[in-house]
Amino acid sequence: MAENGEPRVGVYVCHCGFNIAATVDVEAVRDEAATRPNVVVARDYQFMCSNAGQDLIKQDIEEKGVNRVVVAACSPLMHEPTFRAAAEEADLNPYLVQIANIREQCAWVHDDRPAATIKAEQLVNGAVGRVALHEPLDPMYAEMNPATLVVGGGIAGIQAALSISEAGNDVYMVERKSTIGGMMAKFDKTFPTLDCAACILTPKMVSADRRDNLHLMTMCEVESVDGFVGNFKVKVRKKARFVTDACTSCGECLNVCPVNVPDPFNEYVSTRHAIHKAFPQAIPSTYVIEKQGSPPCMEACPIHQNAAGYVALIADGRFEEAAKLIRKRNPLPFVCGRVCYHPCETACSRGKVDDPVAIRGLKRLAMDWERENIPDPEPPPAKHDYSEKVAVIGSGPAGLTCAYDLAQEGYDVTVFEKHDKLGGMLAVGLPDYRCPPEIVKRDLDFIRKTGVEFQTGVELGVDFKLADLLNKSKYGFGAVFMALGAHRGLQLQVPGEDAEGVILGIDYLREINLGRPQWTGKKVAVVGGGNTAMDVARTARRQGAEVAILYRRTADEMPADLEEVEGAIAEGVHFDYLVSPLEVVVEKGKVTGLKCINNELGEPDDSGRARPIPIEGSEHIREFDMVIPSVSQQPFRTWFKGGVPEKGEIGFTKWDTLIVEPDSLQTGLPGVFGGGDVVLGPASIVEAMGQGRRAAEAIDKYLRGRPLENFETHVAPPDPVRGFVKAPYEHGPTYDQIEKMPRARLEARDPAARLSDYETVDYGLTEEEGMREASRCLHCGVCVECHSCENVCPPDAVRLDMKDEIVELEVGQILVATGFKSFDPSRMTPYGYGRYDNVVTSAEFERMLNSTGPTGGQILCKNGKPPRSVAIVHCVGSRDENYNRYCSRVCCMAALKFAHLVKDRTDAELYEFYIDMRAFGKGYEEFYLRVLDEGANVIRGKVVEVMPAKRANGDGHLMVRAEDTLIGRFREIPVDMVVLMGAIEPQPDAEQVGRVFSLSRSPDGFFLERHPKLDPIGTTTDGVYVAGCAQGPKDIPDTVAQAQAAAADILGMISKGEVMIEPVRATVQEHLCGGCKTCLSLCPYLAITFDEEHNNAEVNQALCKGCGTCVAACPAAAITGAGFTDEQILAELDGILAPLAMESGAIPEGVAT
Amino acid sequence: MTTTTEAPLREPAVVSTEWRPRIIAFLCNWCSYTGADLAGISRIQWDPSVNIVRVMCSGRMDPTFVAKAFSMGADGVIISGCHPGDCHYQEGNYKTLRRFHLLKRLVEGFGIDGERLKLVWVSASEGDEWAATANEMAAKIRALGPLEVSS
Repeated sequence: MAENGEPRVGVYVCHCGFNIAATVDVEAVRDEAATRPNVVVARDYQFMCSNAGQDLIKQDIEEKGVNRVVVAACSPLMHEPTFRAAAEEADLNPYLVQIANIREQCAWVHDDRPAATIKAEQLVNGAVGRVALHEPLDPMYAEMNPATLVVGGGIAGIQAALSISEAGNDVYMVERKSTIGGMMAKFDKTFPTLDCAACILTPKMVSADRRDNLHLMTMCEVESVDGFVGNFKVKVRKKARFVTDACTSCGECLNVCPVNVPDPFNEYVSTRHAIHKAFPQAIPSTYVIEKQGSPPCMEACPIHQNAAGYVALIADGRFEEAAKLIRKRNPLPFVCGRVCYHPCETACSRGKVDDPVAIRGLKRLAMDWERENIPDPEPPPAKHDYSEKVAVIGSGPAGLTCAYDLAQEGYDVTVFEKHDKLGGMLAVGLPDYRCPPEIVKRDLDFIRKTGVEFQTGVELGVDFKLADLLNKSKYGFGAVFMALGAHRGLQLQVPGEDAEGVILGIDYLREINLGRPQWTGKKVAVVGGGNTAMDVARTARRQGAEVAILYRRTADEMPADLEEVEGAIAEGVHFDYLVSPLEVVVEKGKVTGLKCINNELGEPDDSGRARPIPIEGSEHIREFDMVIPSVSQQPFRTWFKGGVPEKGEIGFTKWDTLIVEPDSLQTGLPGVFGGGDVVLGPASIVEAMGQGRRAAEAIDKYLRGRPLENFETHVAPPDPVRGFVKAPYEHGPTYDQIEKMPRARLEARDPAARLSDYETVDYGLTEEEGMREASRCLHCGVCVECHSCENVCPPDAVRLDMKDEIVELEVGQILVATGFKSFDPSRMTPYGYGRYDNVVTSAEFERMLNSTGPTGGQILCKNGKPPRSVAIVHCVGSRDENYNRYCSRVCCMAALKFAHLVKDRTDAELYEFYIDMRAFGKGYEEFYLRVLDEGANVIRGKVVEVMPAKRANGDGHLMVRAEDTLIGRFREIPVDMVVLMGAIEPQPDAEQVGRVFSLSRSPDGFFLERHPKLDPIGTTTDGVYVAGCAQGPKDIPDTVAQAQAAAADILGMISKGEVMIEPVRATVQEHLCGGCKTCLSLCPYLAITFDEEHNNAEVNQALCKGCGTCVAACPAAAITGAGFTDEQILAELDGILAPLAMESGAIPEGVAT
Repeated sequence: MTTTTEAPLREPAVVSTEWRPRIIAFLCNWCSYTGADLAGISRIQWDPSVNIVRVMCSGRMDPTFVAKAFSMGADGVIISGCHPGDCHYQEGNYKTLRRFHLLKRLVEGFGIDGERLKLVWVSASEGDEWAATANEMAAKIRALGPLEVSS
């Protein structure tokens, strides 16, 4: 045909029966169109979409030479393909057809006939103007990838996946839960046949599991979808299951998991373990560990100690396992059980309920239990046997941890210690009453067993040089860890500090700890507010002195641990706050007092603490015969002059701490690492241990020749409690719901008695106290990482370090069958759900009826007795202006099923409260009649409220108040149990899922089908289908039917082998392109590239999707959008806005009509 | 067997003398056009003075279209696309929004009341929303009266 010749437009106005003709004067529209330029024929017809209607078009093309077609009819989204096909049959390019939408957007929405007619005329004129400028286009074709993605593993997804894979195509079934089966797996019976849900579902689940080309992807969620029909690229997040496929489902792990949490599969009515299988027939049958991040106690710990794990084991009375677990990550468990500053307790979520769990006390208990019951514990064998040697300088917590970890890794480690006693600050800095020597010895003995060698009384820079350690012809160590500590006390920087009677706190403690003779005054001033000051004060008290602590701020700002302060107060230490020393008063070279000034608090300083401001004129003198400054410490760097190798450099900060790489802890000198107080400045034991551990990892990498990056050792984040804000885990009880329980206190010795010795201040917890205290743990994040399951798993399938993965799939089509969520009836307060024990949801009742449910299929009230009468309330959250206006469709029948089962399994009287009984399906009405025959009472009326019954006989009675609209009376019916038939609602994340798959949603929130009647499975995105309750409430038969229909559509597309793609694409007219590159950044598909050589943009037709954004933006109008060119759109505007022939009276003659 | 009416040219219809505004609405194919169709399927009435022009994406909106519409006699223009985040083409509607602010100032620069140009987001399920938008705009334009552009 003459497609490119002079346009000859045929206009066809459809009556659509009365649909259009009732409101639009179709004949007037026809006549108006006949007046437009290029129109050679204008007709109206009853049903243009009928064969006869299409034949009109074909005839005119063939006989009248029509080469452009305008059909004024329904929306192009309905019949555009029909009329395009008709044109094609008459050898006219299908893209030379234009639809004027005079039904959906005109006749159906206006009732003013003249106005609607004028509008229809304008729309047709617009189309006529536009179509004259249409160019023939060739549709594009793309290959159809036969692989299909099914999202959702419920009955809809399973059914479709089975059908599609049966035909030989690969199907990827993505399910976010640990098992497929969906909601149906939770049901006991199905209406109206009373088939056992599991009996009809599980065979399908098993087939799905067995089929080679059906790839089950449980615990997976689709993150993004790119591409288009036939060629989608899908990114799927595969969440860590923590159990591998090696799992044989033997269930040994269930015997050892100490954690119990509410079971989501049983609607949180019963509990299950952290390691679990959703239900006995779950597919895949592999167990799964629920882990919602690491517990905050563990996250807060610099050595990632499994606090929650051993606490859970202690709660079970499993002390030996607890001690073993502690040792797994902690080479100084005895020390930490006594003197750790316990960041775990600071982070403990139990603190949000009442007080944190006494984690340190529990560790001490577990270790004390070990000491009594396992006299000689053995460390695990070293992992490797390496030839390299490592030197550790300093035997404090950092050095010991590093030495232990490296020895376990398989290195020969030698620790050099300056003092005669091992332990660093543990030995010389902490008083024995806090850190008893036998405790340190026990930890040291254990470390020794790993093969670590110790040399005491050897000092760096004096007895050996750093350079010699690394020198192959001398010591020949492969690496050195510098853990020198910070043993140099800082002076007050006031006059008189050199007098007799002034000694630095850290020196005082060392002398006492090493048992050297040390004079203590009668009246001692300790200056400072940290733990060292407390240690000094309490030690001086034990030496018989009267002690005052002088601190420049107030008690609130004091950095010392609260228990140390309390201990000091109990032991009679006097605290003077808001006071600073100005000068040591000296007489004859000896201290006689301290000149002080009072302070007030000012604005916060850099540390965030209020700045002390001296009050003028408040200077005064206090009498003391000894002053012990205990303000801070720094590392010694006297060793440094002892010699450094020429190459590389060791750097120091202005506080004399070592400069190290933040991740690897390596100093400027390769192979020399630093950690602990020598890097951190005076810090805590466990922080030093954390650095020792990191250094060990770095040294291992260094010696194995691996790059010093991607470290795995834990670093405590600044805020470890995030993610556990309202409750210890998702769906767990919230902090305000958890019953308070007092924290165990370690019983302290009488303070007076304490002053006479250096024995431990408090006693440990008893086993009973410990188990009770441990039971206060909330199991944050569910799995507490106790590793019990790992230890007992016969096939070694547990992998607690498993991580989420991203899997990329390529599929041709996608079925979204993501299901629904049940209405939460606690939103309807008058029904008392959540307040009254025996008001249950339909989902909870389903589980109660199920033989694998919490009651083993028995219908029981909370008191364990069967109910004497049960009320079933329909339409809870459905057909309700306040919640959902729609009918959830299945609840009436499910309620009748419940009625039958209640009648079948109990002697209870049964009441159904309904608005309208909707028994619409095959066999449904018959089932309704059967249930009536069985004696169910049905009351037509909405329940007003459920309240506690006034009768006092027995517990938990409820009263249901409702209007009986059939007898016109208000009724109050006493029952033992109320079942609320909650609405079917869209999944809470439907909006987000909709965005991932480019799905629209209907006003009720369910995914919108392409057409409510003719295409209930397609969506507005080609190649994406929807089935099941994700599209709207429906029962199992309808769900299965819809899934089958989707499968049929998908299979149809697969057998076609290719997909047609609308040729609506952008093209650059190179001669017009000015090379401004404006378009490049606009294309979300990166379809536009720039040809530097010719200085023009180019559009990749395969990537372009035809949105036209670049067309609109091109300042040179060099980009054309096929099908929607500027000229075509402007011609359409012109046609719509041009005066009508009727109005102007200019009616030309000679056009065929 | 033809039922096509071979009607003679009629007398001009009795056309109401009341002024009828002319409003052009550019609707994206995926959300707003489908939403307007839904209003039709649901028979939600809206003002017949609004005529819809379909574009694939609101991002296709060339400022020229608006300028031409006004110069050709439109009294008001509506641009409607998918809600932010829901664009069928990922982000075309953001581009529209960006251009719209500029376009509005440009239109005002021509001496046209900025109220005559409106940008809305209407999803495929918001038939009622579309009808409300059309009615609101029609009422507004009626209140403003015919557009008289000084040439």
